[in-house]
Amino acid sequence: MSTMTVKVRVWRQPSPDQEGRLVDYAVDNVVADMSFVEMIDVLNEQLVAKGEDTVAFDSDCREGICGSCGCVVNGVPHGPGTGKTACQLFMRAFTDGDTLVVEPFRAKAFPVLKDLCVDRGAFDRIIAAGGYISANTGAAQDGNQMLIGKDIAEKAFDAAACIGCGACVAACKNASAVLFVSAKVAHLSYLPQGQPERTRRVVRMVEQMEKEGFGACSNEGECEAVCPKEISTLHIQILQRDYLRAVLRGA
Amino acid sequence: MKRILALLSSDIGRKALMGLTGLLMIGFLIMHMAANLLVPFSKEAYNAYSHTLTSSPQIYLITLVELALLALFAGHFVTGIVVTLKNWGARPVAYQRKDPAGGPSRKSLASSTMIYTGLVMLAFVPLHLATFKYGTVYEVATPTGEVRDLYRLAIEVFRNPLQSAWYLIALALLGAHAWHGFGSGFESLGVAHKVGLRRFGQALAVILMLGFMVVPVYVLLGGGAS
Repeated sequence: MSTMTVKVRVWRQPSPDQEGRLVDYAVDNVVADMSFVEMIDVLNEQLVAKGEDTVAFDSDCREGICGSCGCVVNGVPHGPGTGKTACQLFMRAFTDGDTLVVEPFRAKAFPVLKDLCVDRGAFDRIIAAGGYISANTGAAQDGNQMLIGKDIAEKAFDAAACIGCGACVAACKNASAVLFVSAKVAHLSYLPQGQPERTRRVVRMVEQMEKEGFGACSNEGECEAVCPKEISTLHIQILQRDYLRAVLRGA
Repeated sequence: MKRILALLSSDIGRKALMGLTGLLMIGFLIMHMAANLLVPFSKEAYNAYSHTLTSSPQIYLITLVELALLALFAGHFVTGIVVTLKNWGARPVAYQRKDPAGGPSRKSLASSTMIYTGLVMLAFVPLHLATFKYGTVYEVATPTGEVRDLYRLAIEVFRNPLQSAWYLIALALLGAHAWHGFGSGFESLGVAHKVGLRRFGQALAVILMLGFMVVPVYVLLGGGAS
């Protein structure tokens, strides 16, 4: 199997309070079928062999569904290509001798913990503020009793596909979380089970989003372009309409 | 009032207000541009239009409209500056490398420079009012009496190449601002992003820009010489 060598310029930051900087490494024995995350594993093996501190990064499922991994590769969150997380970015996207600039997702609301690890707790707090339902949805049989149009179900599924990775925030020039919040609001707003708390939910989630220090939406759509689940910015209209209606009605 | 303040407490509310004020101002600009197009055709018609707007009793209505426009302008730039400053603060450590994401993204030079083109408008509008509305008052006799000769002022102003150049630059920036602003304004108000609507806005931006450029270009090409 032929291998390649890539140059990696990776963000090294020992702790949240210390300054970070890009450090250059050459990674040998990279196979085209490796994922980007596996390539970082190889880099870390080299660093361990030399007795150096490894590059910290998040990853869990490594099959593109958990939303743990994520960093900015060559200026694009999750790297080049569409509809995939960093663990589904394969080294065949690069050629021998390429330089990969690797940085953490950057936002005031996502403080860097170490190297490529950022604290995405802001997303959890937004969900906790209202991203749930209180209706008892019962068992599978009960679910089938409630008739929901295919088109509505599809829209709800599209929004519910959000894995909360934070790439939308990382891509946005304003570090705005509007696509994430809209997906989390919309998937419940489309469905009957989401109606009881619909108004309260949107107001509380938007208030929490404000508190976390995310920016505003400039309607550029960079978020949709990098979203591993290709969640459409069309859901943003649900967030805006629900929120504006709630506030103007004095909720 | 409480509800308006609640609206202004979030970016979604502030952006909705920014979108609404921007779109209403585009509505005004369409009328303004249409009236300007009288200049190359008829000095009399142009002066008569301006005279009609400023005669009693319409002047009372026009004054209300002007106050409303002032409120729109102020609301637009205050929300614009507040939101932009907050946006800049939302990413304290900049990326070392940041590339356009491509694909479905609508990011453009116009969308990336809204605050700058907007700040030029913030400077342009008071200067424009000082030059024309509060500028030199020439009088001209007509069959129905003396009216303000706004036409003569326009010709004089644009005969100065520096003034014309400044107007052409400002109008190009206005076009860029409206290019992104029209579609984005609707999106901020909760209207779904649709390619057709965005393209319509971009076409409107170009029409507005070219329409407003007619008068300075007409004068630069020797139009209005008496």
